[in-house]
Amino acid sequence: MKTTAKTTVNAKAALSYSGTVWLLVLQLLVMLPFVQYLPQWLIPVLVFTAIWRIRVVKGYSNRPGLRVKITLIAIGMIGLQFSGLPFPSLDFMVTILLLGFAFKTLETDNPRDGIVVVFLGYFLLAVHFLYSQSILAGLYGALSLVVLTAVLVVIQHPLTFMHNRQSTQHTLRLSASMLLQCLPLMLLIFIVAPRLPPLFMLPLPSSQAKTGISDSMTPGDIANLSQSDGLAFRVTFKGDRPPQNQLYWRGLTLNHFDGRRWQQFADDYELRQLQRHFEQHYRWQPNQLEVRGTAIAYEALYERSGQPWLFTLTPVSEVYGDVLRVGDYRVMARRELQAPTLVKAVSYPDSLRDINLQPMVRQLALQLPPDTDPRTRTLARQLRADSDSEQDFIQRVLARYRTQPFHYTLRPPTLGSTDTIDRFLFDSQRGFCAHYAGSFVFMMRAAGIPARVVTGYQGGEWNAAGHYLSVHQFDAHAWAEVWLADSGWLRIDPTTLVAPDRVERGLEAAMQMEGSFLENQLFTPHNIEWLKQLRQQIDSVQYGWRRFVLGYDQDAQHNFLQNLFGELTVKKAVFTLGGLLLAIGFLWVILLGIKPLRQRHSPEQLIYQRFCKALAKQGITREHGQAPGDFARRAAAALPEQASAILDFNRSYERLCYALDKNEDKTALLGTLKQQLKQLQ
Amino acid sequence: MTAVTPQLISATLKALNQVVLGKETQIRLALTGLLAGGHLLLEDLPGMGKTTLAHALAGVCGLEYQRMQFTSDLLPADIIGASIFDRQSSAFTFHRGPLFSQIFLADELNRASPKAQSALLEAMEEQQVSVDGKTYALPRPFFVIATQNPQSQAGTFALPESQLDRFLLRISLGYPDPAAERKLLRGAEGRSQLNGLTAVLDQRRLQALQSLVPQVKLSDALLDYVQRLIAYTRDSDQCATGLSPRGAQALVRSAQSWALLQGRSHVLPEDVQAVFTAVAGHRLSGRHEAQGTPLARHILSQVDAVG
Repeated sequence: MKTTAKTTVNAKAALSYSGTVWLLVLQLLVMLPFVQYLPQWLIPVLVFTAIWRIRVVKGYSNRPGLRVKITLIAIGMIGLQFSGLPFPSLDFMVTILLLGFAFKTLETDNPRDGIVVVFLGYFLLAVHFLYSQSILAGLYGALSLVVLTAVLVVIQHPLTFMHNRQSTQHTLRLSASMLLQCLPLMLLIFIVAPRLPPLFMLPLPSSQAKTGISDSMTPGDIANLSQSDGLAFRVTFKGDRPPQNQLYWRGLTLNHFDGRRWQQFADDYELRQLQRHFEQHYRWQPNQLEVRGTAIAYEALYERSGQPWLFTLTPVSEVYGDVLRVGDYRVMARRELQAPTLVKAVSYPDSLRDINLQPMVRQLALQLPPDTDPRTRTLARQLRADSDSEQDFIQRVLARYRTQPFHYTLRPPTLGSTDTIDRFLFDSQRGFCAHYAGSFVFMMRAAGIPARVVTGYQGGEWNAAGHYLSVHQFDAHAWAEVWLADSGWLRIDPTTLVAPDRVERGLEAAMQMEGSFLENQLFTPHNIEWLKQLRQQIDSVQYGWRRFVLGYDQDAQHNFLQNLFGELTVKKAVFTLGGLLLAIGFLWVILLGIKPLRQRHSPEQLIYQRFCKALAKQGITREHGQAPGDFARRAAAALPEQASAILDFNRSYERLCYALDKNEDKTALLGTLKQQLKQLQ
Repeated sequence: MTAVTPQLISATLKALNQVVLGKETQIRLALTGLLAGGHLLLEDLPGMGKTTLAHALAGVCGLEYQRMQFTSDLLPADIIGASIFDRQSSAFTFHRGPLFSQIFLADELNRASPKAQSALLEAMEEQQVSVDGKTYALPRPFFVIATQNPQSQAGTFALPESQLDRFLLRISLGYPDPAAERKLLRGAEGRSQLNGLTAVLDQRRLQALQSLVPQVKLSDALLDYVQRLIAYTRDSDQCATGLSPRGAQALVRSAQSWALLQGRSHVLPEDVQAVFTAVAGHRLSGRHEAQGTPLARHILSQVDAVG
């Protein structure tokens, strides 16, 4: 009878008061992180139902009747309607679930309801990872898991005989140790379970809009980007780090100019169409690349951006990963990045590209809008006529940026809607990379030299702690490429002539005078040295998390297992896996089966055991039935030089065990006891 | 515990020790029983000083006492008293027997017939007697100190277990040690002192001491030990029957009383061990001998006193 009462839950019995409080804490804990992504009125709903629940348990209020419940649900649904969430979306579904989770509080009367709430909590915990997979979310999830399991313990087995604080500690410790016991199995599953691609794609949560470089460039866009310190990607180099001014991370090329806006093609393509277009007309042709110079091998881990663009050093000769390579030497993903994506690549920056320019590419690279910017066209034609060669012409155009009073600024004046190049080159002469690259390409094309705008990122922040490069959104950049008959495509960055610091030392240095770097952010830790270091350390940890935990996909798994076991055979896999599972099972048998047989001892008993051990070393053992006092007197008589120490210890021990009141604080006496034991040892 | 208490206790013990020589532990146990408010059973062979101890206890406590020699032809009315017809008032009047005293000394209890025994034992439990449908309360405090010969002696009626259970403690005196015996032989001290015994305690002081007994602290660790002992008596196959809850209560109360006599305000395992044989010896069925040691001692050696 005794044991059954302990281990089985009486489902009809009322939930204890402490159990109810535990459940409410759990619900708050589970719902809190969703506040960032979902309607915030969910939390007040929970607080309201929680207060009601507590009043019911204390007997101040009645339990809500059916009519009240239906009214509440109706109000909830109306609130949902007004939150403006699109109907078949993850956000909508999760909000409904959370609403039900909060309302369930009103009717958690017995342990069975409590268990339902806990299980829902487990599910919601998993759902939260759809929104965030950061290391912080992971830690929070682990913490919540401990609390959830603890609540399950409390519901099944309330510890009414303990003080509140004691039982809380005990329960949390129990829950944590139970979860720790699951850890080996979890790790094993994480490492060896097959990594399947998702069976279906969830609609992307609305709160995660597209970030990063877009597929068109209107002066102004990149300035917006440079106001964001969001992370774009991180790179680990296999060998030495290339110099900062060589780090041009190619994203996409913009060929079509309509007088205001630079974009890839005359038409706006959907991603699928764009890919088809690339496949058909603009395919990557390895024979167009003449590899020269030294290789730079690197791994880049791209953050989730909602866009397909990847950023690599030009030109890439080898690349590993599920990517699409295009004739303009870009590398792009086959679908939008919904999760951090790892790509390995080898680039040869000194290679020659497109010595034989395809007619289609040439045509694209010479396109200009008809009848715009007359002053620029005239200037280009005039400079071309004055030059001996195309090279000379390029130098003259660049020299003009240097000699004229051009000014690099993130706060350029607006340029109107027509003749924007003219206005920039002759009137305002103030702008940032997009202005310089755009105007330069325009002049090249006006003089009949194939040229195009390339957008991507430049530079990055070297993290000395983790030996990797972090490229942020504010590193976004645009530069130009011109094609010359004997050298193919050449990278030319007119911005460097106006603001050399931009490329040598980054945007922050370039904008030091103007103070416009991340000016919209209230708190920028970029200018305080120790904070910067701390940030780099944290970033380094997060990078590791991204790379090795979140980035552990099918390929990574394959590589890891191959490194560990060599070539995989069925026999090897079965034996290793079976062995590991057996080991874990054995561990559990030990933990679950043998541990309870050992009696739990209070701290003073553990100290007393050490006391007995210490005396046993000197030949005096306590008989089983001997009372502490008798034993101490016998030992004191046998060891006269230690007699007082032994008797002192015994006095403290007896006081601790037999003379203290239940609620008295033991810590001071325990300390004394330990001290006295030390004197004996 | 007031400041006078330890002095009072030591004075009482000293007075008792002058009368009964070389029996300090037994005297302490006897006083333990009195302070715990329980009845005592002194068991030993004739001539071991049982009656002397009982006398001394009564004398030292300063209580009014009656002594009665139990014989096989003793009737309940001889103990309790009887209703006798009074010619003058033409009514029955109840004449109180020797039982109506604060300390009742029942010498050689097991010589009396079961009928007489049970009359006494009822009074012990109820602290009152009923005669002819009328209830008479016994004086307070009321102690019974019974002496008993070992049951192997001829002409005795063994007390049944249920009645043995009414005695808080059973004490056997045993032979005195040589030094004490020599003193006894010289006749300088001992029984002759009984007449000159002065009362150290009186009724008020005794009750004050008794009221201190329940205040002696019982920690969880100690109760754990007590429960381990009880569980052992119930589970072990060496005991035919385990200790009853009343027996367990008696153990705890006696241990508290013993601790008080030691001048302590809390109970230690050694206090429990000190009274265990006296409390449990007559309650555990039979006198099982486990490898030559009495059963109670054997249990003490088997149950861990710590942890």
